[in-house]
Parts: sequence; C-alpha cells; structure tokens
Amino acid sequence: MAKIELRRVAKSWGEVAAVEPTDLTIGDGEFVAILGPSGCGKSTTLFMLAGIYTPTGGDILFDGQRVNDVEARDRNVGIVFQSYALYPNMSVRDNILFPLRFKDVDKAAAAARADAAARLVQVHELMDRRPGQLSGGQQQRVALARALVKEPQLLLLDEPLSNLDASLRLTMRSEIRSLQRKLGVTTLLVTHDQIEATTMADRVICMSRGRIEQVGTAEDLYHRPNSVFVAGFIGSPPINLLACSVDAGTLRVGEAKLRATGGAGECVLGVRPESVALGTGPFRGRVGDLEPHGRETIYHLETALGPLRALEAGASARFRLGDEVSFAISATLLFDARTTRRIEGAGADMPA
Amino acid sequence: MTAAIAAGRPDWDALATRARKRRRATTALLYCVLVLGSLPVVVPYLWLLTVAVSGRMGASTVVLWRTLAVVMPALVLWSILRLAVEDARRLRLFEFSLGAVTLLVLGAVIGPYLHADNFRFLWNANIADTLKGAGGVGNRYPSVWVAFGNSLMLAGTQMVLVVVTSTFAGYYLSRFDFRGRGGYLKGLLILHAFPAMSLIVPIFLIMYWVGLMDTLTGVVLVIVALELPFAIFVMKGFFDAVPWDIEMSAMTDGASRRQAFFLVVLPQVKVGMIAVAVFAFLRGWEEYVFVRTLIFANSNWTMSLYLFWMQDDIMGTDYAMVSAMGLFYVLPSIVLYTLCQKYLTQMSVGGIKG
Repeated sequence: MAKIELRRVAKSWGEVAAVEPTDLTIGDGEFVAILGPSGCGKSTTLFMLAGIYTPTGGDILFDGQRVNDVEARDRNVGIVFQSYALYPNMSVRDNILFPLRFKDVDKAAAAARADAAARLVQVHELMDRRPGQLSGGQQQRVALARALVKEPQLLLLDEPLSNLDASLRLTMRSEIRSLQRKLGVTTLLVTHDQIEATTMADRVICMSRGRIEQVGTAEDLYHRPNSVFVAGFIGSPPINLLACSVDAGTLRVGEAKLRATGGAGECVLGVRPESVALGTGPFRGRVGDLEPHGRETIYHLETALGPLRALEAGASARFRLGDEVSFAISATLLFDARTTRRIEGAGADMPA
Repeated sequence: MTAAIAAGRPDWDALATRARKRRRATTALLYCVLVLGSLPVVVPYLWLLTVAVSGRMGASTVVLWRTLAVVMPALVLWSILRLAVEDARRLRLFEFSLGAVTLLVLGAVIGPYLHADNFRFLWNANIADTLKGAGGVGNRYPSVWVAFGNSLMLAGTQMVLVVVTSTFAGYYLSRFDFRGRGGYLKGLLILHAFPAMSLIVPIFLIMYWVGLMDTLTGVVLVIVALELPFAIFVMKGFFDAVPWDIEMSAMTDGASRRQAFFLVVLPQVKVGMIAVAVFAFLRGWEEYVFVRTLIFANSNWTMSLYLFWMQDDIMGTDYAMVSAMGLFYVLPSIVLYTLCQKYLTQMSVGGIKG
C-alpha cells in the first residue's frame, strides 16, 4: 500500500504533449478513477505510474520517494490491461505464479499465495486451463489474480471492463470494488465509462486533452461541474448545452429571453435532461421525437430556447409525437463561453 | 422460373432442383480441373518412383504406364463416387473397397517388376564399381552417406543460423525504433528481390580471398546471407502480431526485458520460427548453384552434387539408380513438409492465426 503523488508530471512524444504538467495525490488505500475520452492522456498517466513510460517532466512519488528512474519491474505495481494480457503459453496457475518467479518466494509459499489469489477471484477451479480456454470474464479474473498475487503497493486497472458484456460488467464492477475495500490496496482505474468511474471510485479525476479538468466525487462532477467539458462528458443522456448571451440580467437563448442571475457576455447555458419538467411551466415546446426506454422516456423538444432533451421517469410516455407541451426548467448551470468555466451561483430558469 | 416469380408464386422445388444441379456441375468441373492440373506435377514424381523401384539398367517405363492405367480409372471412379453418393457412411465403405481393389490390381500388374536393387548405393560404398560402364574407373566416388551427411550439415547449420539471427533481428525491428529503420526494411525487400545468380562471380572471388573456397562453411555463409532478408521480414511479421501489452505486463510483473522476451514473447512466435526453420532447411537441402560453384573436393559433395556427378560423369547413365538416388534425396524434404505442414500454412506474409 502506498500514497502516490504526482508533482508537475508531464509526458510528451516529441512535439506532442500527451500529458500536461499535472499534480495529483492518491491517498493510501484510496480508489481513484481517471475518466476521459480516448486520447486524453489517462492511459499515459497510468503507464507512467507503472514505470512503462518515463515522464518527460516532474516527479512521481511513492510514499514520498521519487521513483521516476525506478524500473517497472522494481515498482511492485499490479496492472490489469484492457486486453488482460495473459500469457497464452502458460496455464492459469503459471500465469498467476509468474510475478512470484522474480521474487524471493519459496515454491510452497508461492503456490499457496497463487491459490489464495485464485480463490479470491474464484478461478481456483480453472488452474490447469490455458487462457484461450477461458471466457472473457474468467480471463479478467485471472488477470486480476495475477495483479494481486504480488501484493502490489499500487493496483492499476486499464479499462478492465470494456471487453466484457453488459451483465458481466455489472457484476465485475461491484466485485472489484468490494475486493479493493477488503484488501485496502491503493487503486487507480482508467476508463472512458463514466458509470464505471463514478460507481467504483471514491474520487473521480476527469481528464481532457492531457489536462485534469476536475477532481471530485460523482456528485461534485454531476452537479457542480467545473467546465463545459465535464458537464458534457458526465451524465447520460447528456446535458443540454445552449449558447446564449447575458446582458444586464437578461439572458438571450434562441428566440427566448430569460431572467439571469449572474453571468455576463457570451455564455453557455446547461440544463440536465431531468431538470426539464414536463406538464406545467412557463415554457412551451413541441415533441419532435421520443425514445421510450421502459423505465423512462427521453423527449426531444423543439422550443424557443432551442432543441432540448427532457427525461421523464415512468413506464409509459405521457406525450406523443407532435404534442404541444408546457415545461419548466430548474437547476441550470451557466458557463463563461470564453473560458468554458462555470460561473458559480449563476443560472436562469424563468422567462424575462 | 422468372415467370413464376413474376406471377408472385416462386416455384421453390424447381429452384431447389436447379441449385442442386448447378452445385453438382460445379463440383464435377472442379474435380476435372484439379485432376488435369495435378497430372503434370504428379507424373514426374510417379516416373521417379516407378523407375526407382522397378527399372533395370535404364529407364523402362512399362511400370509407369501400367500404374497410370490402373490409377487413372480409379481416380475417375472415385470422383464419380464422391459426386453420386451422399450418405457419408456408404461413401466411406465404397471408398475403402475401391482403394483395396485398386491396390490389389496394382499389385498383380506391377508386382513382378518390383525390386530394391537400384538402392544398392545405400549399402555399397563403392558405387562406381557397380555403375554400368564404369569398369576400371576405380574408387572415385565417396559413399553416398558422406554426401548425405554433408547436405545435412549444410542445411542444418544454415537453418540454425538463419532462425537465430532472423528471430533476434525480427524482434528488434518489430519493437524498437532507430534511425533508418524504414530504409532498412525496404532494403530487406529489395535484397530479397535481387537475383542471387548475378552475385556468383563476386561471391566466388570473395570466397577465394577469405580462404573459404571448397568448404561447406563458405557455402553455409553465402546461403545464410541470401536467406536472411526474407526470414527477417517474416519473423518481424510474427513479432508484430504479438501484442505489446503482454510484454509490458511481464515487465511490471518483475521480468527483465530479456526474461520477458524468452518467457513470454518467444513462445508465441514458435510457429513462425518453425516455418522459417523448415524453409531454411529445405533451401539448404536443395542448394545446387553455390555448391556447384564453390565446392570441388568430392569429400565435400552434397547430395545434389553427388547426383549430378553420378549421372553426368559415367558413360551410359544408369537411370534406374539415378532415380533411386533421386527418391532418396527428396525423401527428407517430403517427410519434413508432411510433419510441419500445419505450421507452414500459417505463414502467409507473416502472421499468427488464432
């Protein structure tokens, strides 16, 4: 177990900066997720922690010790790769034993540890099979056992669930989470799936274009996003983002005028789909399209504000295609269009 | 048909019958083409085989024609069987009986002609004395086993050198970036396209200068140099197909780069190494041009040279024995091919299946 610190850590490939100078601390035993679209530098960060890539700037500290120049094999880090990266020429047992080959562990102890790790992830009955004979979920568990058997001070998970089917993903999500709690190992998860990040991790780091956009809990990211990027990336169906301008308390969006609290100049108005309440309210719109999801319905409204997505819970759709509906909006977010930062306490939910 | 479809009621039965007929016609045509196409390839080998086991002092072709007369109708019958019989169990029964009958007839027709006398070179070291018209030539020929050993040595050493070098080079080219890597890869391809014959004079001179003339070592080095570009390219392809993840994983698991290579990466290119090894071995085994140019002493003869001198140097060639020796010469190749077939088919332009 270790406390991990990144101080101004950066990585660039020639001219291209993959990770801008970044500061980050992961507490001992904490489960942190890096969330971001592909190419945002999240995997690069993970590989720098593993020692596979060397940072081009800054310091990486494990428990206060600089490890920049420590080789991957000496860092005692466990990784689960997206592809699992099991060794196809070895049995499951040999796969799990592999990390112990390079440690000063006698044979009996190694076998016992491998067995314990296999039991932990419930693959102890598959020990003599080859990776090729396992299902995706089983391979995933073996990869996890292999990463855990060396009792790593840091566990790195690189998109570990993205190759699994939906139902298995759900199970593995909670299994990995409870395993991490049980072992108390410092864990970093890298993913592009917001649900994975927010459900599994204590803290989520949202990254974009090599930069950390925001660090916080799922609730922080969802309700108090720092920037337009975070607001747009978190949430499904995605937030409605409307370009607007604010002048002396009046917000112009589309053909509508709203009463604004805070903000000035060019802005972006964010409205979560579930913050659009259909039925009654000061605004009117027409149902242009609707998607029934069984548990909820997503309406695509044509309004004076512009196109709006609205989410309504309930088994059956209350409105039909072409219906005129009244609606109200609440809990709006206002961003400065130039800096893309959120304007604290600003919003607009009533017509002017 | 079209009318039926146009009328809105397609005649499914008629369509099905037509499809069946067409399928059968296609198969029949395919069999014809395959049989005709393989004849020119198969008949020379058949000639070699029949003359080797039946010829006496010359290339009598009676057995060849008799064999063909039995085998060809059997082949035609077999094709018809495969087309006509649909039930798998009955088909197998028919095939089995057809095979048995063919063998019996073949035995009756050519049995009396068969003998092993042409293979006497295998146990009689002084082959020159038994050659027709070779009386008084004396002990000019070494035992065929010396040539066999030389060929084995040449092909084997060459194979080991090619496999080891191309494996390391292929790995390096696949994994590391260095100045001129692209040029190097292009160079490999150009070298492979270069006709080796055009180098024969400079190679001769170089061998003379470095003192490797008339040695197997010299020939081995020359063939290795010519074989390497393609082998490296193939091995690079196999290494390219091994994911990076696995190596990274091994290294974070505590392995050094070398350990990761030997324990994790190498086992996954085993198929490629076997394929390269087989091709390199066969290349060395069949080598003729460079041994002909660079080797003189008969104690250094390889099988190809032995065969050449034996048929060329004696008045009135004993074709029967030449055929027997030819058979003896191709046997290792055939065995090797048969054993390693499943690996060779996986070598497209360098890739791993499954």
